[in-house]
Amino acid sequence: MKHSRLPLNVTLFVLVFFYLPILVLVVNSFNAARFGSGWEGFTLMWYRKLLDQPNVWHALSNTLIIATGATLISMVLGTMSAFGLHRYTDALQKYHFFLIYTPLVIPEILMGMSLLLFFIALGMQLGLFTIFLAHVTFCISYVAMVVLGRLQDFDFSLVEAAQDLGATWWTTLWRVLLPLLMPGIISGGLLAFTLSIDDYVITFFVAGPGSSTLPLYIYSMIKHSKDMPIINALSTILLALTATTVFFSQHLTKETRT
Amino acid sequence: MAEFLAFEGISKNFGPVCAVDHVSFAVKQGEIFSLLGPSGCGKTTLLRILGGFEEPDGGRILLNGQDLADLPPNQRKVNTIFQNYALFPHLTVRQNIAFGLQIAKRPAREIRAEVDRMLKLIQMTDQAHKKPHLISGGQKQRVAIARALILKPQILLLDEPLAALDLKLRQRMLIELDQIHDTVGITFIYVTHDQGESMSLSDHIAVMNKGRIEQIGTPSEIYEAPRSSFVAAFIGDTNILEGQVMEIYPQNNYCKLQLDGFPSTVLCYNDNNIKAGTTVYLSVRPEKFHVALEKPETKLHPEHNCVPGKVEDMVYMGAHTKFWVRVGDYRLAITQQHRRFLLDEAAIKWNDPVWVYWHGDDGFMLERYNESDEKINDPTVESAATASKAN
Amino acid sequence: MKTRAERKKTLHEWLITLPPVAWLTLLFVIPTLIVFAITFKPVVPGTGDIGKGWTLTTFRSLGNPNYPAIVWRTLWISVMNTTLCTLLAVPAGYFIARLAPRARSAYMMLVIIPFWTSFLIRIFAWKTLLHPEGPIHGALAWLHLIDPQALLLYNAWTVLLVMVYTHLPFAILPVYAAAEKFDFRLLEAARDLGATPLRAFFAVFLPGIRRGLITAILVVLIPSLGSYVIPDLMGGPSGEMIGNKIAQRTFVDRNLPHASGLSALLTLAVLIPMAGALLLQNKRQPERMMTEDA
Repeated sequence: MKHSRLPLNVTLFVLVFFYLPILVLVVNSFNAARFGSGWEGFTLMWYRKLLDQPNVWHALSNTLIIATGATLISMVLGTMSAFGLHRYTDALQKYHFFLIYTPLVIPEILMGMSLLLFFIALGMQLGLFTIFLAHVTFCISYVAMVVLGRLQDFDFSLVEAAQDLGATWWTTLWRVLLPLLMPGIISGGLLAFTLSIDDYVITFFVAGPGSSTLPLYIYSMIKHSKDMPIINALSTILLALTATTVFFSQHLTKETRT
Repeated sequence: MAEFLAFEGISKNFGPVCAVDHVSFAVKQGEIFSLLGPSGCGKTTLLRILGGFEEPDGGRILLNGQDLADLPPNQRKVNTIFQNYALFPHLTVRQNIAFGLQIAKRPAREIRAEVDRMLKLIQMTDQAHKKPHLISGGQKQRVAIARALILKPQILLLDEPLAALDLKLRQRMLIELDQIHDTVGITFIYVTHDQGESMSLSDHIAVMNKGRIEQIGTPSEIYEAPRSSFVAAFIGDTNILEGQVMEIYPQNNYCKLQLDGFPSTVLCYNDNNIKAGTTVYLSVRPEKFHVALEKPETKLHPEHNCVPGKVEDMVYMGAHTKFWVRVGDYRLAITQQHRRFLLDEAAIKWNDPVWVYWHGDDGFMLERYNESDEKINDPTVESAATASKAN
Repeated sequence: MKTRAERKKTLHEWLITLPPVAWLTLLFVIPTLIVFAITFKPVVPGTGDIGKGWTLTTFRSLGNPNYPAIVWRTLWISVMNTTLCTLLAVPAGYFIARLAPRARSAYMMLVIIPFWTSFLIRIFAWKTLLHPEGPIHGALAWLHLIDPQALLLYNAWTVLLVMVYTHLPFAILPVYAAAEKFDFRLLEAARDLGATPLRAFFAVFLPGIRRGLITAILVVLIPSLGSYVIPDLMGGPSGEMIGNKIAQRTFVDRNLPHASGLSALLTLAVLIPMAGALLLQNKRQPERMMTEDA
């Protein structure tokens, strides 16, 4: 049966489209030229300049602290959410599903705006804590969806078998359910971690003066367009880190595919 | 005398659907008891209710006189072999088998000894370190059995345990299950839709249909003396002939029947003392009929029935031949063994006029009849061996 | 009345559902309601904060004559974005789903990696690429396709391009997920019955991945409507979208109630496609199938 070449061509085009800008970025981080219109020699100066910026480290540590905290909390809440949605189907769960599904779809600016007004109405000081609260709020949905997907493929006769053999629901949870779901939960956690590190819009709205995260820092650098190649250098480092995380996460999901 | 296991009036509904409808029966200690029926008849639901995974809407179950009602599955001395075995994928064979004893917090040495004993029973000592995805279907099933038996339950529940295996393996596992039962001696309750499995393994069978039990009996009782058209048609093949009792002969317990469209009356053994004038449904299994080209004058007993017919269809199967012979309004399904060298006899061909004869003892009058039961086996020509009125 | 087991089940349900539901109600639902509420509060002149009491002036101020143009631009960019993403995602999803499993996961990983890298960085990459002294500008000028003085940045088309770039993975994922579950033998059956490949594609494949298509459209269209970063970095004044206006009113012009009103309007605009999609999904929802042999 003759197949059209169109799908293949479109896919290749899409992949080239995806990677070309990234490639240019990485290449330019080693390019002595300022605007990348021509190659002016290999250099590491942009990386050196990057390391000299004090604010970068401050922003980075804030980002990591928030991301770690938000990931841990959202892993717990997201997993609980997935269990509830999977096991029960009453009206409470319909509301619950709406709560989980909507944050995944609505524009970030709406969440940012509403949280900002919420914090102002409560008279809360805007800062790292409000950013943390905001991040947990959108991360829960992602963890929940990933774990829910795993639960739907989960063989629940294993739970019945455990009970049949004498286990209480608590024992079943710790000895059967969680060990088998852990790769999915961690996968959701990794997703949450990446989203938290990368978040700009919501963070921008709920951050106070003085609290800076890496995306906020990058954004202001982009807007002010000086020393753009430093951003190239920073981007390349982040890309390398992300790629490693993705490999690790995919490896986790593959291991359990027995 | 209190029974070992008694179901009393168990009912279960799923929304508007009645899955189990006031089912009552008893099981003896140490026997293999089957629940046999088509998909949706309620057999798995009953099993799950006994295991504690479903709560009945009505009725109760008594095990040794004790009501199981408020006991959750982990407290019942009943263990289940699940249809897909439900082996824990993250544990080895050894750890799977040891699971129940670890939950019960037995000392490590005792657990090790018991697991070794079980591994020897199922002949998998050298595979104890493997995880479930590395062993075959038959081996998985043995591990599932070992995992359950190690806890010495009073009843072992088996939910279509052979469904996932191919034919040859199924036959072998059937024998193994029987051997394990003989060794261990506990009560098995076995759920299946395969009548062959059920009949070869069980001491007693409960045939179920649409949430109700149609009949309970030994395999031969079920086969030879089906109480309803469902049981007659579900187990093996049969011909169901409608007619009226013309006369009864109390002295030898026979009666004379006029079957619709038959040229003459026939005799039938009157097991249930049915009165004259009653409409009856006679079930005669294909192997009970005989066909011959010449009327068998010398072979017939007084209780034999003999009617003329015409061969409409036949299928030669080597050891036997399946015939479909028209007699009156009926297309009788007949299976004839070839006990003598076939080529010495005149062959029966399509459209041949033949004589069909059978002994009056070999038919059985059904207590309950439902027209839809006749279509249980596929109503197309090849596989249907139920007699049906010409349309 | 409920049996003991039923009450226990309900207790378990509440124990496990309450924490996430409480968190999300408190930090998602209530703030959204607050946005609607503040639309009816007056602004404190000078600081732009939320004043006391209730008023309709804020609501009326949303009738700003400049807004329709921005709304229109937001709409057409979002719809174009969704259309282009879908047009690219469907062949790609189709192609990848037909590959052998190992090739499939390799390709999908290639699709996913950009998605996991920093969103800002990917946008920034385009800024470099499209810069007046960058490679693309040079190439296009050299080919005489554009005027050497023209700016590739800071207009609505740039916004659209970068939006497609950032949203495409979100479109491919659900289309691929649906295509993976699709039984491709149906297409062979259609061909066998006389349909051309194109006909089979439209009559059999597309309906077969319906749910994935709807998800893809939803997951691109709705966030597009609220885009902020891309128009802010790449749009310039002629590429402004509603998101920018909201941010501008919040941080630059400092008028919180007004910004709140705009957000409320955007929320409503977003709920309509969502409700539509949910209705479409529910229409085909089969009853929860009972297990065999119940």
